[in-house]
Amino acid sequence: MTSAIQQLLANLPPAIQVTDPDVLATYLTDFRHKYTGCTAAVLKPRTTDEVVNIVRACNAHNVPLVPQGGNTGYCAGATPDDSGDQIVISLERLNQIRHFDPDNRSITVEAGMVLSDIQDHCENHGLLCPLALGSQQSCQIGGNISTNAGGVNVVRYGMSREMVLGLEVVLADGSVLDTLSPLRKDNTGYAVDQLFIGAEGSLGIITAATLKLQSLPKQRFTGFLAVASRQCLPKLLSDIQAETGDLVSSFEYMAADAIQHLLNKKPEHRLPVSSGHRHYVLIELGTSASKLPLTDLAEAALAEQIEANIVLDAAVASNEAQRAAFWAIRESIPEGEVLNGASVKHDVAVSVSNLPSFIDQAAGIVTSTGPGCRLSIYGHVGDGNVHFNVLCPEGSNEIDHTWIEVNLSPHIYELAAKMHGTFSAEHGIGQVKLALNAQYGNAKKQALMRDIKRALDPNNLMNPGKMLPLG
Amino acid sequence: MKALVTCKRVLDPYIKARINADGSAVNLDNVKMAMNPFDEIAVEEALRLKEAGSVTEVVAVSIGGPKSEETLRQALAMGADRAILVESDQDIEPLAVAKVLKAVCDEEQPGLVLMGKQAIDGDSNQAGQMLAGMLNWAQGTFISEIKIDGETANVTREIDGGLEKLSLKLPAVVTADLRLNEPRYASLPNIMKAKKKPLDKKPLADMGIDTAKRIEIVGLSEPAERQAGVMVDSVAALVEKLKTEAKVI
Ligand SMILES: Cc1cc2nc3c(=O)[nH]c(=O)nc-3n(C[C@H](O)[C@H](O)[C@H](O)COP(=O)(O)OP(=O)(O)OC[C@H]3O[C@@H](n4cnc5c(N)ncnc54)[C@H](O)[C@@H]3O)c2cc1C
Repeated sequence: MTSAIQQLLANLPPAIQVTDPDVLATYLTDFRHKYTGCTAAVLKPRTTDEVVNIVRACNAHNVPLVPQGGNTGYCAGATPDDSGDQIVISLERLNQIRHFDPDNRSITVEAGMVLSDIQDHCENHGLLCPLALGSQQSCQIGGNISTNAGGVNVVRYGMSREMVLGLEVVLADGSVLDTLSPLRKDNTGYAVDQLFIGAEGSLGIITAATLKLQSLPKQRFTGFLAVASRQCLPKLLSDIQAETGDLVSSFEYMAADAIQHLLNKKPEHRLPVSSGHRHYVLIELGTSASKLPLTDLAEAALAEQIEANIVLDAAVASNEAQRAAFWAIRESIPEGEVLNGASVKHDVAVSVSNLPSFIDQAAGIVTSTGPGCRLSIYGHVGDGNVHFNVLCPEGSNEIDHTWIEVNLSPHIYELAAKMHGTFSAEHGIGQVKLALNAQYGNAKKQALMRDIKRALDPNNLMNPGKMLPLG
Repeated sequence: MKALVTCKRVLDPYIKARINADGSAVNLDNVKMAMNPFDEIAVEEALRLKEAGSVTEVVAVSIGGPKSEETLRQALAMGADRAILVESDQDIEPLAVAKVLKAVCDEEQPGLVLMGKQAIDGDSNQAGQMLAGMLNWAQGTFISEIKIDGETANVTREIDGGLEKLSLKLPAVVTADLRLNEPRYASLPNIMKAKKKPLDKKPLADMGIDTAKRIEIVGLSEPAERQAGVMVDSVAALVEKLKTEAKVI
């Protein structure tokens, strides 16, 4: 332990320090087990004041901080480096509801509150917290906001950014920016709190947020579709939106291979429609209007698509258990990849209209350049976002993840760039995608980001080496 | 052989049941309803027997309000041939259910009645047994397997501590347990077809059956909230708490 860290810890209450090496270990490796760092202690503040004290002490002793939420991020943004000079600050104990205002449809929560707990609280009071993603039982709202998480409801409700009305942030100098506001309109200057959304802890530590809530759906329609081709996906979604009055909340594409990897290892999942198709979609519609004939609308819209041979087969969940079984398939696809040796992920977005042709061309690259490589393609079609993931050939010694990263990934990202897309749609930069950002990111934007970082964090204490390269 | 399958509309078992403010009943306003899961298993088994050639026609029957038509449409979408809705705006007791089903059986003359072992709302587990008694037919309850062999139904029952195999003379009443099968999903083309399948409605009031309530519900209460767990610092602290708070050692 460096003497700076020793002095820092001596100045902080022991009750918020964890130093047991076995406990520390769980905070030091990223979710995908690709990066492991080192730290002398994990700090677990219980109040914003304790966060302030930590940041002040870090300034005094020049110790950099790595904020951590649920540690479910895909870009190792919450993992410290291996120098041992950085301190991890976990927000998990800062997990209270500060204010719930059903008439204003807003809730103010502390950063460490687990997303599913917020969802449950709102639901118990007849409102919807619309952010939903596979990791919701462990990720924290502070982490969601810091990564501007997307998830499965973006097509209806937007990314995390869209639900943030205001934030409380402890800045790098230990001062507090409090914009926790129930206001929907407040044109009084730069939208500074927007800077912290998606900043991955590089500008300050989010300690609380006011979130905008929605009406709780009273009816849902959940369908599992087999679809004729990828090309028809954008129009299929847009037709169903038009037919139903924009009630689609999820439209999740899954290529047959992505599902098959899962079924091979976990046969307890059951494909809800006939097998042998190449493209599947999980569609969900919802409305809070209990008198609206949602099921009739959705069935009629889908029947037209069946008539037109766009939808080849469709199963409809007739109860919540079946709905859960449909979703379990979609949400277990990442697990299916892990059980098949894990994947190299490409979290690409292009315009919705370009999505099918991006996937087709990228798949062509993999087939021609990476013999035997297996694909796991799925994603949020309505957001133009595809998880274009590549698995090693079965039993191959020559082709490993590094081979894929060196020989395939650049072509996939090159293709995305050519189609005016992005190499990181919802997963962020962290430490995983720094080089990609240097190569494909917008240079002027990055120059401005460096200026902002210097202005807000001149001593580079806030999650250094994440989002922006060191130096 | 004709098979009659019963389908009750109940609170979706995935939804947390909440009791009305006056403690008199479970709140069913604006909550998601579904086919009783054991009935869904019964429907599936009837369809499998039809696909195996043992049954020629599957008739779904429900006793309930207008919304029970949705439950029957689901059975039709799964593959039942036609449906009967006995219209009743009140939730009737198991004895009355058995009497109504007896009347339906007298008219339909099925060779086999397939029911769920119980409905997950009242959890009474009575209607099937009483129906078999009234009809003086053989009964096989809690079944996890059924095979039709000519004039007999060979069933496996799930009983405490093992399995019991019975040979039932047809006609018979059997009630389905959880492990009998995994019900199929309704496909959209079949849902559309189901909208056109015959569904007869008979007002319960016209059937001349005494369905008067014989059971009075004195009160309902929610299960005690589970206490949140606590982390203890040491084994000593754990032992101390087990002694003084939990009082188990
Ligand atoms: C199964 C699974 C499914 C997923 N699906 C999706 C998906 O559909 N869409 C999507 O966008 N992501 C998805 N993710 C990625 C991940 O869950 C999200 O990025 C999530 O928002 C991260 O939250 P977290 O609390 O785990 O943050 P962490 O991983 O702990 O941290 C993420 C970043 O935020 C910073 N940070 C955390 N808390 C704070 C704070 N309070 N203040 C400042 N900085 C902070 C960290 O330093 C780090 O840089 C998925 C992950 C898994 C494992």
